[in-house]
Amino acid sequence: MSGRLGFRVFWRMAMRANLLQATWNFERQQGVGWAYALQPALRALYADADERRERLAEHTAYFNTQPTLASLALGAVAQLEEQRAAGTGPDAAAMVRIKAALGSTLAALGDRLFWFSLRPLAAVVGVLFALARPDTAWGAVALWLCYASVHLGVRFAGVGLGYRGGPAVLGGSLRSRLEKSVVFLAYVGCIVVGVAVAWALAPGGAPRPIAVQSALAGGLGLGLLSAQRARPSPTQWALGIGVLVVIAAWLHRF
Amino acid sequence: MIGRVAATALLGGIATLDATPVGQTLLSQPLVTATLLGWLWGDWATALAVGVVLQILAASTLPIGARTPEDYASGGVVGAGVALLLAPHGDLQPWREAAQLVGVLTGLVAAATGVPLIRWQRRRNEGLARWCEAEVRAGRENAPGIANAAGATLSFGVGVAFCALWIAVAALALRGVVENESLRLSRAWTLAQPLWMGFGLAQLLHAFVQRRLTRAGVFAAAMIGAWLTLVMGMP
Repeated sequence: MSGRLGFRVFWRMAMRANLLQATWNFERQQGVGWAYALQPALRALYADADERRERLAEHTAYFNTQPTLASLALGAVAQLEEQRAAGTGPDAAAMVRIKAALGSTLAALGDRLFWFSLRPLAAVVGVLFALARPDTAWGAVALWLCYASVHLGVRFAGVGLGYRGGPAVLGGSLRSRLEKSVVFLAYVGCIVVGVAVAWALAPGGAPRPIAVQSALAGGLGLGLLSAQRARPSPTQWALGIGVLVVIAAWLHRF
Repeated sequence: MIGRVAATALLGGIATLDATPVGQTLLSQPLVTATLLGWLWGDWATALAVGVVLQILAASTLPIGARTPEDYASGGVVGAGVALLLAPHGDLQPWREAAQLVGVLTGLVAAATGVPLIRWQRRRNEGLARWCEAEVRAGRENAPGIANAAGATLSFGVGVAFCALWIAVAALALRGVVENESLRLSRAWTLAQPLWMGFGLAQLLHAFVQRRLTRAGVFAAAMIGAWLTLVMGMP
């Protein structure tokens, strides 16, 4: 039954990778979701039910990485499992080490690419569209398409890429391309935030009242200062701003 | 009315699913859920006003590593839902703005109070993961699928209940305040909205610039160029 894994198995793994975090927990983090996503490959590779269950149980142990790039790790580990099924791959302890290394490497890159770059960019693009066309759904559509097209594309193509690249999937040109994407998205993000600030100051070319512009500038300054420290969180700051403004409005005489 | 509130709570469950357990496609983001709710309630203006502010604040909240971020999936639905429930049917702008302010504040509080609930779910999932490994070793190969279904169902149920509870409590408790103090709250909205927008945009700018002078220069050039183009027209 052992043989090279094909497109159908990769597709099923990618579909199951959508549930990678369904049972996310502090102990094993993505462990159960990882085992569930890898299961189609194990079924294709191990004819012996006891051996297959043993491998599946091993994979329910701790694993964590950035969820989109997890597809690359899934493909790479499927390749290793294929070698293991043929009697040439790493043993269980080596597999744990490889998974840990892959997980942390992909998380380091994936967090910067998806969480720190693409997600904020998608949010600003969506907000800009929503400000410019407030009577349509274009903001939500732009936000969703901007992020989900890349996220789902990488999720589904990533398993095959990981399988072909193996544990060294990030060793070649892929890493350099992803690193360049991070820098590119940061520059695009700076431009889009600049346009959004300009639009907030003068929507459609009509400057807003000076009080509103001053409040926007004050918010920008406070935001840049507060971003230097992790605590209080942006949400706590925003709540504080809201409460203070409500108190101020209450004290103001009409 | 009850049908719309029930649909809003269901959307809260779907958004909670998308945020972490299933997909992670950003369907859960406040702007997306607010747009869906604006369509559902037939009031784009109120929904988007709340959605835009919560979205810009949510964008700098990231699920890095084992950190439990604020629950903006539920917060977005609660905020827009409360604002839509409290907003007037007619064209009463101060009342509408009061509802928007209360919606954003409720959404922020819901997002913050959702954190312990997410942590509780994650602790419950620890038992599920241990159960899963034991079942697989005992010969039940479909245990990971069952565990995932259980985890996702728990998230969906918690999301629906959390949103329904917040919307019901906030709407009952704050309806009188919005109706009777709409002028004061409307005035607060005109100041708070640009403050929140500026604050959120600055957080995002900080994430993109990363203390690099070139990027700060690109931001400044883009802002000035866009402002001149908007105010003076294309050259």
